[in-house]
Amino acid sequence: MNILVTVKNVVDVELNIQVKNGAIVQDGLQYVMNAWDENAVEATVVLKEDQGASTELVCIGDGTATVAIRKAFAMGIEGGLLIEDEAIKNVDSASYAKILQKVYEQGDYDLVITGKQSQDTDSGQTGILLAEFLGLPCVSNVVTIEAIDDKNLKVTRQADGNKEVIALQLPAVITVNDSINEPRLPALRGIMQAKKKKIKNLDLSDLGLSADDMAASKTKVLEYQAPQSRGAGQKFEGDAAEITSQVVNLLATEAKVF
Amino acid sequence: MNPFAISILLILAMSTFVWFVYQKVMLLSSLGKEDRLDNVKARISTMLTIAFAQKRLIGRKKERPSGIMHAFIFWGFLVLGIRTITLGGEGFQMGFHLPFLGQDSIIGYLYLALKDVMEGIVLCMILFAAYRRAVTKPKRLTNSFEAWFVLVMIGTLMATDLLYDGARFNLIQIYESQDIHWFNNPAFGPEYLWTPIASLFAWLMSGLSETGNVIVGVISYWLHMITVLTFLCFLPMGKHAHVITAIPNVFLSSVGYPHTPAKKLDLEDEAAWEDESLGVNHIHQFTWKQGLDLITCTECGRCMEVCPTYVTNKPLNLKSFNTSLKHELFDNMDNIIKRAALEKKLQQTEDEAEQEQIKEQMQALLSTKQLVGDVIAEDTLWACTTCRACEQVCPVGIEHVPRIIELRQGQTLMAESYPKELNVAYKGLDRNSNPWGIGYDKRADWAKGLGITTMAENPDVDYLLWVGCAGSFDDRGQKVARATAKILQAAGISFSILGTEEKCTGDFARRAGNEMLFQSMAEENVEILNGYKITKIIATCPHCLNTLGNEYPQFNGNYELIHHSQFISQLIEEGKIKVKKSVEGKITYHDPCYLGRYNKIFDEPRNIIGSIAKEGLTEMPRNREESFCCGAGGARMWMEETIGERINVNRVQEAVDMKADKVVVACPFCLTMVDDGIKTLEQEEKMETIDLAELVWQTLEKHEA
Repeated sequence: MNILVTVKNVVDVELNIQVKNGAIVQDGLQYVMNAWDENAVEATVVLKEDQGASTELVCIGDGTATVAIRKAFAMGIEGGLLIEDEAIKNVDSASYAKILQKVYEQGDYDLVITGKQSQDTDSGQTGILLAEFLGLPCVSNVVTIEAIDDKNLKVTRQADGNKEVIALQLPAVITVNDSINEPRLPALRGIMQAKKKKIKNLDLSDLGLSADDMAASKTKVLEYQAPQSRGAGQKFEGDAAEITSQVVNLLATEAKVF
Repeated sequence: MNPFAISILLILAMSTFVWFVYQKVMLLSSLGKEDRLDNVKARISTMLTIAFAQKRLIGRKKERPSGIMHAFIFWGFLVLGIRTITLGGEGFQMGFHLPFLGQDSIIGYLYLALKDVMEGIVLCMILFAAYRRAVTKPKRLTNSFEAWFVLVMIGTLMATDLLYDGARFNLIQIYESQDIHWFNNPAFGPEYLWTPIASLFAWLMSGLSETGNVIVGVISYWLHMITVLTFLCFLPMGKHAHVITAIPNVFLSSVGYPHTPAKKLDLEDEAAWEDESLGVNHIHQFTWKQGLDLITCTECGRCMEVCPTYVTNKPLNLKSFNTSLKHELFDNMDNIIKRAALEKKLQQTEDEAEQEQIKEQMQALLSTKQLVGDVIAEDTLWACTTCRACEQVCPVGIEHVPRIIELRQGQTLMAESYPKELNVAYKGLDRNSNPWGIGYDKRADWAKGLGITTMAENPDVDYLLWVGCAGSFDDRGQKVARATAKILQAAGISFSILGTEEKCTGDFARRAGNEMLFQSMAEENVEILNGYKITKIIATCPHCLNTLGNEYPQFNGNYELIHHSQFISQLIEEGKIKVKKSVEGKITYHDPCYLGRYNKIFDEPRNIIGSIAKEGLTEMPRNREESFCCGAGGARMWMEETIGERINVNRVQEAVDMKADKVVVACPFCLTMVDDGIKTLEQEEKMETIDLAELVWQTLEKHEA
């Protein structure tokens, strides 16, 4: 079983993200592997360990993504592709899916595993669109994967309030939920070995794509808006009855809860 | 007496002794290398105080009676060593004496008197020791056959020598055998006037006939010699090896910093990953000094008794930890020696096939036991808080903590087996350079509105205030950071902080054996610190203080570290801040391990409390060098404490028992642990814990208002 797992390099959401003139302030930001992709990598590595699957990751990004790629290596992924191109800027999920489609077609994969969404854009479309472009079956929001044999999986997906157990014939695309596993912290020996692994760099032309394909992106982000920060809390002191009426009054007039 | 018999005895005993010692020397020289011969002056001073003056035996109030007992037995041994040689000589020639110790000089007489009194004292001490073992039975002691055997031997040595002299004196005085009168200088008188104890023994036997006295004398002599030589051969085999190795072990113990800091491992060394030589996984990886520590361990149990994990019923029992390692060392003695010889051969040969062959042979000689798992249980290894209480009380200077850290390194780096609950903190450190994993960009948020500059804004300052992760991110820690900064501002001190450029020092990662994470933290911090050419650092966290000051020199980071308690104490002393004795209530102080035992800062925090507390400072029973850990050190802060009683609760109970109103601390982790302990014991109404800086700032505010 050959698995392709996608890894996206995203802004560390632990940080305060500032927006200025409709754009995100880049100064001081740091990037980490998308949390759902960590789950995808973990699921892939488990299949490698249990089924002897061969594993390769693909990442669309720039040089800052090497940290995330090496982390995936340290977790146990064997090979890595970094798709880097000036033209891949401000493109939508469909464009990402288009690139991944080419990667899939150039390789010999049985299964694609992606995180169900990414922490930066939260659109949750890429994996599903990729399956659509490839004409492959897709199961989203997967919480367990069980390999029946080389060509068949049994997966569970989290649906709205219930779980669906699905028999899935490969090749296929799976997007995983974060409850599928607890991503491992790479072993230190793995980190050392990962430092020496080669990352294969590709650009759009290597994949038979051009800048025009990217420019054809059908949706565009026009502007970013910072969420409104929560105002400071208010402290009331004094007579209980008096305070109660004050609070009720404020809840009605300011918070408008009634 | 009988030159033939004494010659046979001596040859037998000495060859056995030399063989045992040779084996042990071979064993130690086959272990890892370590340089322990620097700074000889300081070593001699340590040896004089710890070994010869028996500081850790008689210096501890709690252990004073047994300490005095041991000290006199030890001093007795020193005095009687000379006597043993004299008696050996008597085997060849009656009346033998060493130069200057005969009847011609007063020195000979004085020595005679000294040895006589010493023998009497040692005999009393042996009786006391026997009483202790038989009746009072202190918990830390194991009543082994060996212990009793040695007590009986020492008692026999004293008694037989006194009986030998006593019988001789009777023969001289009662039966007028002047030919066995060794000392009779007209100026100083006959020898028995100088030896009250032997004379007492003589008086006890004065009823015996001449033959009776001769028989007692001869039997005592031979029994004495046989016992001495048996004792000598027995020494290298068991825990009484310390009679030989304790003095050198103390001489060779760490000077300056209380123990060897963890070695800076070469993580880029591929061969080391290959042959699993990072950290310690097998017994042969310990250094010769660590081996000597094991041989020297007297199993007195002091380490165990003061250990916070043992006190709170956790599996780490340092006494059995030591003995387990000692047994593993002795069980593998031959293989370790053979393996070291092969290693030497491996380095000399260049032939690859031969190298492979040697490597295989070496592999076969590895102990079949993994140190962690087979010899030491995992829970035992991870229980340690690295508080150094064990090292502080060890009378022979054994360094327990570095060993534990090296075993943890082996587990983390090689065996990939460590408490997974550490992962959260590791991940936080990896991504955001703090164990909480809070965004690194929020590191300086605590300082908002205080007018504190960062180094980037104002590098031209006298001091860097190192805030630490707790001061930066923890709610309570931030209050301490703010109080410290305000005090510095009130005193007009020029300082900046690093702001978001500061990172965790990596202290807990190193204590947990995650050398990789520690090194990356250290390298990044040193680059920033050296970039600003920082020389003086004020730190509020003793863990940061210790790592920056004592471990960063390994990474080319050399700074003068000042703890905020030292700095504030100095500000008060110099009158740069004016405080009044205004703090009410009973104030006690909890010594942080990394401030006190690690960095010997005991007085400054007490001076501060003395100058602001109305009632002054009231000490807890366990204080200063023997303070009790809060339970957070050694990365324990980031692990759950699931076995036994909680260490912090045990400590807080001590403060509750003495009815303290305030437990003053000087470490953010102690602050958290003591605070939690107070809550667990539901004492919030009666007691609070507070950092020194907070307390000082409170009094300054009042004073100014």
